[in-house]
Amino acid sequence: MALVPRRSLTSLGARTLDLVDAVTDLVRVAAGTVSGAVFTYWRGTRPKGEIARQMHAIGNRSLLFVMVTLGFVGMVMVYQTCLLTTQVVDGRGQVGAQFARLLVLDVGPSLTAMMLATRVGAGIAAEIGSMKVTEQIDALRMSAVTPVDYLIVPRFFACVLMTVVLSIFGMAASWAAGGLTGYYSFQINPRTFFDLSMVAPAHVVLGMTKAVAYGAAIPIVAGWCGLRARGSSEGVGAATTAAVIGSSFAVIVLDFIISAIGLIFWGAGL
Amino acid sequence: MILQRTLTTLGARSMAVARDAGGVFVLLLEVLRSLVPPSMDGRELMRNLYKMGYRSVPIVVLTALFVGALMVVQLAAFVKQFGATALVGWGTGYAVFREVGPILIGLMFSGRVGANNTAELATMTVTDQIDGLQALAIDPIRYLVVPRVLAMIVCLVALTVIGDLVALIGAMAMSQVVLDIHPLTLWYSLVDNLSTADFLHGVYKSMVFGAAIALSSCYFGLTVKGGAVGVGRAVNAAVVGAAVSICFLDFLMTYLTA
Amino acid sequence: MTAQRDGDAGGGAAVELQGVTVGFVSRRVLTGVTLRVPRGGRLGIIGPAAGGKSVLLKVIAGLLRPDAGAVRVLGHDLAAAREREVAAVRRRVGMLFQNYALFDFLSVGDNVAFPLVHGGAPPEGIEARVAARLRGVGLAGSERKLPSELSGGMKKRVGIARATVARPELALYDEPTAGLDPVTTSKIYDLLRADQAETGGTCVVVSSDVAAVAGFADTIAMLHDGRVRWVGPAAALFDADDPLVRSFARGEEREGAAVLARAVAIEPPGAGVWS
Ligand SMILES: Nc1ncnc2c1ncn2[C@@H]1O[C@H](COP(=O)(O)OP(=O)(O)OP(=O)(O)O)[C@@H](O)[C@H]1O
Ligand SMILES: [Mg+2]
Repeated sequence: MALVPRRSLTSLGARTLDLVDAVTDLVRVAAGTVSGAVFTYWRGTRPKGEIARQMHAIGNRSLLFVMVTLGFVGMVMVYQTCLLTTQVVDGRGQVGAQFARLLVLDVGPSLTAMMLATRVGAGIAAEIGSMKVTEQIDALRMSAVTPVDYLIVPRFFACVLMTVVLSIFGMAASWAAGGLTGYYSFQINPRTFFDLSMVAPAHVVLGMTKAVAYGAAIPIVAGWCGLRARGSSEGVGAATTAAVIGSSFAVIVLDFIISAIGLIFWGAGL
Repeated sequence: MILQRTLTTLGARSMAVARDAGGVFVLLLEVLRSLVPPSMDGRELMRNLYKMGYRSVPIVVLTALFVGALMVVQLAAFVKQFGATALVGWGTGYAVFREVGPILIGLMFSGRVGANNTAELATMTVTDQIDGLQALAIDPIRYLVVPRVLAMIVCLVALTVIGDLVALIGAMAMSQVVLDIHPLTLWYSLVDNLSTADFLHGVYKSMVFGAAIALSSCYFGLTVKGGAVGVGRAVNAAVVGAAVSICFLDFLMTYLTA
Repeated sequence: MTAQRDGDAGGGAAVELQGVTVGFVSRRVLTGVTLRVPRGGRLGIIGPAAGGKSVLLKVIAGLLRPDAGAVRVLGHDLAAAREREVAAVRRRVGMLFQNYALFDFLSVGDNVAFPLVHGGAPPEGIEARVAARLRGVGLAGSERKLPSELSGGMKKRVGIARATVARPELALYDEPTAGLDPVTTSKIYDLLRADQAETGGTCVVVSSDVAAVAGFADTIAMLHDGRVRWVGPAAALFDADDPLVRSFARGEEREGAAVLARAVAIEPPGAGVWS
């Protein structure tokens, strides 16, 4: 006791309490979102066209961003792989098929979601966070409206759908950009490159499962961060930051978990 | 009608992107000019190194552990199919050192440090603190931006090196568990097939990414408008800008150094 | 309806606080606050900045749960009730927030309609009620404007319109006149008085404009350092026995200034981001 300053003990205690409080909140928001999406959202008075508006906000405004970034990543991946395969024996014929498999199984959905975690996660947290610090959340509650139902559930639907759609667009951009790189830098015939023979239904199922899981996680984590915002503009900034890091991390952890489950399930078949 | 509207939006957006890219570039020049007589607030630099580097270690370590394990999971089906156990270390190392490590750690760094920095500068801007500095004849570039840019570059390089090593640990643990490959097998496969050049390739990238993240985050923080909502929007723009720059610069560097 | 009102029999108080204590992370904001507002009463709450007035209002509205103490509002024990029951009570309460808290993504009309739309009012009558309410606060015809286009005083009046449009049994106003000129201030209090005469509801007003609120309320409570320092009839405020209350109410120097000086010693802005 004498060796440890009392202040650090109390601050440790306070931090533990804070952490417990934060995790409880997250569980509450996640449970509220899921139960809201299944039951309560359809019961109460819901804003007309809100899901469509959110789909537009999430989807349209991220389309270019996702396609550009995924395009560059596609080029890099093909370039690196070609460099490797041409070193020992000429394996260029296999690059396209393997690339497609990896794109569908993992890189497409995961990288799209990483991008959305920054773009959409930050946006959701900034919006909800500034509503929190300007007491608009309390004003919602005064009319007996549940903030989770009213704000997070529509974003949840929109984000799940748009993550799937944007993943597909991102994969397409990546695939096309990869094909171009293969053709111009390594003279791979596009017909050899654009080869889907390695993509099995299991890959599509797993990849799309990932997209759905990421799309569900991002608005939950970001909404949670927004609802916990405190203070004024610096509180909104802190919530936004936490949302970016939290949803990116959620994507990586989910990727790991779902990939591991897939491996247990299908084993060498993947 | 629709075409016209699409074109107008596209035009407006390209203008905005061009303006921001130009702004970042100008900021880069100003930072370089401020470096010429290398005067620097050392305390501010140390404070930033601590805050940006030391306190990001937990999130980077966690991310890297998962990423390393993830790489093995991705390779596992392949390895099981062809029995290519000797290639796991090499494949993981190549991907992590050259691409996955710098990019993912860069993205996490941008989310944790870049975004935080934007929020901090943006809050200072909307509360007129930057004007306050200028009123005291203190150059905000030299006082605020330069130490942050330097600190972010140093921190991201250090964190990437740490992350690379931790990712290897994650990969070793995972390959022991799912593929029954001994950690040493993985290690030999790595050192036999990879050169320091592969490792350094990633380090160079992280240096460039660090500069890009820093400039983007400072630029959007200093040009913010409009209260609490503006701060959120600035953070949003900064992380998006950083993500695009990372992907683009990654492509450029891969292409140029190959 | 009968099920909701079953608890009302006890004494007929609209608000009854018993030893309410609220703390945030490391500091206590309210300590043992005990207050009672009868149905149809008008309570004014005054006190120095950061004394916990807004927090107290949020406790009464059921937005914050106290750490200790009992909160009975319109016959329901809010401190112990489940969130759904608290939400049902909130529907019968209207609140004006200190910073208006208008929904910035909705037009003025939709803001004022919000409690009706989400309170299950028949959709046909809503538009007319919103228009009438906006006319009542002197903003006739501004349904289509966005909150960002309004001045501070206009926002405040939209906030009042939103708080009262559903004819709440209990209306809570946080600083209804802060930053307004004396003419508008008296107009707003006239409006609150007219509303109350019409609905027979209960009113709680937080205000730092001591003279104006003393003219409106029948009872005044002074909060100081999170405790109720004084409660009494509004007429007795300026001659209160407690010298601190008296000088605060009269805006005199000496103790009044000392009270304020202690209150403004708050943490510097932006302390959060630097850590
Ligand atoms: N959600 C919260 N989290 C942490 N502290 C809070 C919170 N809400 C209020 N406080 C603190 O409680 C104290 C009392 O706040 P409150 O807003 O009730 O003061 P007030 O009497 O309304 O002051 P003013 O006259 O300035 O409006 C303040 O010091 C404030 O910092
Ligand atoms: Mg207040």
